[in-house]
Amino acid sequence: MNQKKIGDVILDVRNISLSFGGVKALTDISFDVREHEVRAIIGPNGAGKSSMLNCINGVYTPQSGTIAFRGRTFDHMDSHEVAEMGIARTFQNLALFKGMSVLDNIMTGRNLRMKSNILLQALRIGPAEREEVRHREFVEHIIDFLEIQAYRKTPVGQLPYGLQKRVDLGRALALEPQVLLLDEPMAGMNVEEKQDMCRFVLDVNDEFGTTIVLIEHDMGVVMDISDRVVVLDYGKKIGDGTPDEVRNNEEVISAYLGTSH
Amino acid sequence: MGFFLETLMGGLMTGMLYSLVALGFVLIFKASGVFNFAQGAMVLFAALAMARFAEWFPQWLGFENKILANLLAFVVAGALMFAVAWLVERLVLRHLVNQDGAVLLMATLGITYFLDGAGQTLFGSDIYKIDIGMPKEPMFLFQSVFEGGVLVSQEDLYAAVIAALLVIALTLFFQKTSTGRALRAVADDHQAAQSIGIPLNRIWIIVWCVAGVVALVAGMIWGSKLGVQFSLTTVALRALPVVILGGLTSVPGAIIGGLIIGVGEKLSEIYIGPLVGGGIEIWFAYVLALVFLLFRPQGLFGEKIIDRV
Repeated sequence: MNQKKIGDVILDVRNISLSFGGVKALTDISFDVREHEVRAIIGPNGAGKSSMLNCINGVYTPQSGTIAFRGRTFDHMDSHEVAEMGIARTFQNLALFKGMSVLDNIMTGRNLRMKSNILLQALRIGPAEREEVRHREFVEHIIDFLEIQAYRKTPVGQLPYGLQKRVDLGRALALEPQVLLLDEPMAGMNVEEKQDMCRFVLDVNDEFGTTIVLIEHDMGVVMDISDRVVVLDYGKKIGDGTPDEVRNNEEVISAYLGTSH
Repeated sequence: MGFFLETLMGGLMTGMLYSLVALGFVLIFKASGVFNFAQGAMVLFAALAMARFAEWFPQWLGFENKILANLLAFVVAGALMFAVAWLVERLVLRHLVNQDGAVLLMATLGITYFLDGAGQTLFGSDIYKIDIGMPKEPMFLFQSVFEGGVLVSQEDLYAAVIAALLVIALTLFFQKTSTGRALRAVADDHQAAQSIGIPLNRIWIIVWCVAGVVALVAGMIWGSKLGVQFSLTTVALRALPVVILGGLTSVPGAIIGGLIIGVGEKLSEIYIGPLVGGGIEIWFAYVLALVFLLFRPQGLFGEKIIDRV
């Protein structure tokens, strides 16, 4: 594990409970995420991992509990407000703008930062022109970083799955987020694609200092790249700690392998 | 030759007006992935409001100036369309985020009936006229080139210019501004758009406002041509083949689709009509749309529908 300075708590999840009708998706979950770390959330299918991410992202509003970002608590917020605060995400099932080009998809991530007058934008004059160029530069930087230069103008719907996942990541990066939520970034990928994606995630973490919260099923990947791991099972937290601690946790082992009766 | 040009011009003008209504469909489809069935009702509602306010304001405030009356009526009708947009978002769309396209389509069907009813309850159901002072008498063009020149309706010419300006403005808005990009993003995926900080609700209000203004302009022009009456909603049915032809997601497509259908209707009526006993004008557009649905469902300029298996 490389030496990086892990900072203070940036995201603090306290006693989150979420239910849909009678189904309890999450029960009293608490954990924190420190600045610059890679924090994984793992658990068997249906453990509530995506629900947890959706709570942080503002898609779901938990019935109880609080989430604090840099000490600021929010209990009800829309997704777009969460994005404005500096939390970006990618999706388990791709949610790209299929008809738009790779470039346009990633440019949408810059929308929040485009401030110039709509009239000036339409005519591409003065400050609006300069602003567009500046954002385009930033986006080109992301495109280089993710090595998708060749597909700039391709409608994303036509790209293979692995590349679409990268565009999804690129769009989230365009927000310059402080915290990046990744929902199974490596699902459905082959070994080579997984390695590429791991590299990107670690590079983002290293180069931009972005805090990363990720959900992943591939244990090898999780144990390799994360600093700390939260384990969920049936909506409850059953483990929390470094990969080694979690690996040796009895409860975690039984959740994954089952117990003998 | 002069006669051919006359027919062609006539077709282009009518086509431009179809485009105007089609634009409303395209706008809302682009920005929310919803086929807005209510566009026709919005045209009628806006036209009714415009016609009646232009009649009422001089009575209420006691002045006679027609330009002022029309101007006031346009502004107030526009404000009314903004209110409709806001209410639609508040009461209907907000509760249907992330729902299937069919659900949203049915919702707009409901809005259609509501607007039809509300419009006629508020403003009456007679035939009203909008008189925005467009010159009615036709004029002759190219008199030096052809004998007799080409007869063109001035009214149509003005209407076409207004429509063209609106189209240019909208194209710039969609293609060049970050709001336009946000609108296109919202059309593709609600949730993803929100996750990158695009406020869905505000975007929807914006686009319904724009569609409301487009409906008002369309209603005003059609209304001044045909009179404001319930049959105005059927103009929207005419615009349906236009959007199929041009592509549901393309602003230029709506224009070119409208022109093709306008010209096609007129030319086929005159040159093929006599061979089959006439009446082509009525079904030409729909047959053309059918052919497109069979062979090129995304239309001329629509985004290609890509489905990876």
